[in-house]
Amino acid sequence: MIAFAVRRFIQAIVVLLAVSLIAFVMFKYVGDPISQMVGPETPIDQREALREQLGLNDPVPLQFMHYLGDVVQGNFGRSFRTGLAVDRVLLERIPATLELAIVAVLYAVVAGIPMGVYSGLYPDRWLSKFFQTVSLIGISLPTFFVGVILIYIFGPTLNLLPTFGRGEVVHIGFWSTGLLTVSGLKSIILPAFTLGMFQLTLIMRLVRSEMLEVLRTDYIKFARARGLSNRAVNFGHALKNTLVPVITVIGLQLGQVIAFAIITEAVFQWPGMGLLFLQAIQFADVPVMSTYLLVVAVFFVAINLVVDLLYYVIDPRLRLDRAVAQGG
Amino acid sequence: MNFRKMLLLLAIGTTSATLATGVAAEEFRWAGQGDPSSMDPHAAAVGTNLSFLGNIYDGLMRRGRDMSLQPSLALSWAPVGSDGWRFNLRQGVTFHDGASFTADDVLFSFERATGEGSDVGTWFASIDHAEVVDDFTIDFITKQPNPLFPNEIANWMIMDRDWAEANGATSASKEEPNFSRFNTNGTGPFKLESRQADVRTVLVANDGWWDTAEHNVTRATYTPIGTDATRIAALLSGEVDFVNPIPLQDVARVNGAGGFSVIEGVETRVIMLGMEHQNDTLHDSNVTGVNPMKDVRVRQAVYHAIDIDSIIENVMRGQALPAGLLISPGANGFKDEFNTRLPYDPDRSRQLLADAGYPDGFSLLFRCPNDRYINDEAICQAITAMLAQVGIQANLQTITVSNYWPLLREDDFDMYLLGWSPGGSLDASHPMRFLMHTPDPEKRLGSWNFGKFSNATIDSLVPQIVSEVDAGRRQDMIDQVHGIMRDEVAYVPLHVQPLVWAKSDNVELTQRPDNFFNLYWVRVN
Repeated sequence: MIAFAVRRFIQAIVVLLAVSLIAFVMFKYVGDPISQMVGPETPIDQREALREQLGLNDPVPLQFMHYLGDVVQGNFGRSFRTGLAVDRVLLERIPATLELAIVAVLYAVVAGIPMGVYSGLYPDRWLSKFFQTVSLIGISLPTFFVGVILIYIFGPTLNLLPTFGRGEVVHIGFWSTGLLTVSGLKSIILPAFTLGMFQLTLIMRLVRSEMLEVLRTDYIKFARARGLSNRAVNFGHALKNTLVPVITVIGLQLGQVIAFAIITEAVFQWPGMGLLFLQAIQFADVPVMSTYLLVVAVFFVAINLVVDLLYYVIDPRLRLDRAVAQGG
Repeated sequence: MNFRKMLLLLAIGTTSATLATGVAAEEFRWAGQGDPSSMDPHAAAVGTNLSFLGNIYDGLMRRGRDMSLQPSLALSWAPVGSDGWRFNLRQGVTFHDGASFTADDVLFSFERATGEGSDVGTWFASIDHAEVVDDFTIDFITKQPNPLFPNEIANWMIMDRDWAEANGATSASKEEPNFSRFNTNGTGPFKLESRQADVRTVLVANDGWWDTAEHNVTRATYTPIGTDATRIAALLSGEVDFVNPIPLQDVARVNGAGGFSVIEGVETRVIMLGMEHQNDTLHDSNVTGVNPMKDVRVRQAVYHAIDIDSIIENVMRGQALPAGLLISPGANGFKDEFNTRLPYDPDRSRQLLADAGYPDGFSLLFRCPNDRYINDEAICQAITAMLAQVGIQANLQTITVSNYWPLLREDDFDMYLLGWSPGGSLDASHPMRFLMHTPDPEKRLGSWNFGKFSNATIDSLVPQIVSEVDAGRRQDMIDQVHGIMRDEVAYVPLHVQPLVWAKSDNVELTQRPDNFFNLYWVRVN
């Protein structure tokens, strides 16, 4: 177990180095930050002086080494656009993104698993067919479109829910939460629904097909033959065995949701990391972009690690295999 | 209800808990496309910043609803001696922190604006030095006569010396972010209450403002909303009272929604085509070893090939004015007789190309931004189709603006799209200095003349226009430049870009043609 964690840690460092290098090389092509930092009347010599000052004239490998050196010392640089320290800005934005992602995934799990179980158990009922149709829509409609449609239904048309932003937030230490105020809760409904819709359909479809698969196996037939109640068979035996792939997918999807909340955040003007990243791209704000990608990579690595560890908890065979292998 | 109470208790219970926004009677909320990058009035000479900070800081002068120059912190101004301007300052004005405003603050703001890290130094290019005469009189001595100086500093804002020195904010440097990027202390009609960059900025009315308030806003909240559809939805659902801008295609919908109206106007920005005037070959062409654009007949052919009425009708949905000059009506030096365009005439265009030796036309590289001007990509597509009609095959390359400027600066184009607004001065000499004068980094002229258009007469006239005091002689020289520009087809002007704002019917506000938004003209009913 410890050896496994150490191996993972080393892998993680390699991943982070690769991500930052690729990001850095790519950012050479996002454009010129200078022309967006100054007004049109600023003379060329002043633009050049600024470029020199920011180190943009250094060769890329040198810039990368400088960046790595700074990051190792905990200095993530300052945003070209606002002059704010990048780590401070990101820290300010992380709560918004995490709250949105977690609410979205929770809703996807809480709604998706029962829907999947139901349509797995009763594939021929009309409600199952209805779920299937809805899920097809959920998978095929782009987030941007769903978001805009929801905004128009619940905003101008029904006037029920806020159309942008996080509402009022409460600060607890460094964390800011919108989950403790009425306007904050109302604000998270539409973006979380939009963001979680794809995950919901994915989980539902996965649980359904796994259920169908498992219900055909011998041990389920045997369990039924022993006269166990439907409840015990369906949930105790069948559902439990579908959970390994489902947990993998949920884990990986959480990473996806955090990293790719960008579009949802942009549509709802949700002040999270994704929106920050999008703005940074428009302004060629390299320090913000690099650090954002590092943070997202850290999230991915951490989530994958947790998922791997969860396997050990859920699937007794893995523990057994390892023990046998070590013993042999 | 119980749930709400519980939440409330929770919120109060957390020690460091702070709640944002309360609702006041005359609260005004508005949304724009982007957020000001800094609260420092000298940090970036870009419209977003200057427009926003004009609500917090005052200048010596300000622009009225008709864009005329009006007294603000200066009561009057007049030339002094042969080379200078004297400003008589308003007495009894206080900054938001209570300190009083004097000529020393003007001197300090001048030093700061021309110092390290400032982006507004070019406004003072003609100034040799400033002299405080007494507490409420200050002279700016120019290197040579500069009749336009008061116009050029219309967006210059005054800061308090003591406040800046006490808070380590004596420079606008970008390298070491200072206090003034997040905090303000102006003399203006509104005070900064709170700011979360890119999320929300809250202003409250300054009761101690020196002027009688025309507005009735007690509290104003600004939120940047990047997505067009969301910004409009925020207006239509009543979450904000005013949005700027809205896309042209949404004008009808907002007008039809009931309770909302669109404010349409003409901006000071002129959209034009630029061309490569100096290189001996084109970048991407079927003719090699020659640059057809150097021949004035080819440039005229491009001009005659463009059906501007069709572009305005179809691409701009009728919301633009055809342009024959690089300045818009209302700018100083504008004359209608020079604003006529070369007529749309494809036959004449084909004839000119044949005369120039290209009876079958030629191909060229046409660069265009896709997120800078209103419907910029669609404009370029229309132009590409029109040029194809006369035999010019434009290879259209559209790209995001942060990549666009570097390509133009690297001279990587044969033809390009550009928009130009004559800065704070609103004067005909502005595009002449930046777009028509031969590029000359030392004199800091022609810095946006990417195609390197060069004309000796214009080069000698521009410095004279800048320093000519006599209005009649000045206009003659401006007309002369405009004549040369059209004869030589230095640029192909297209149209004056529209301004499209939308507001709820319960608020009254004023649209300024330079796209500035002033809270002190807002009334909430």
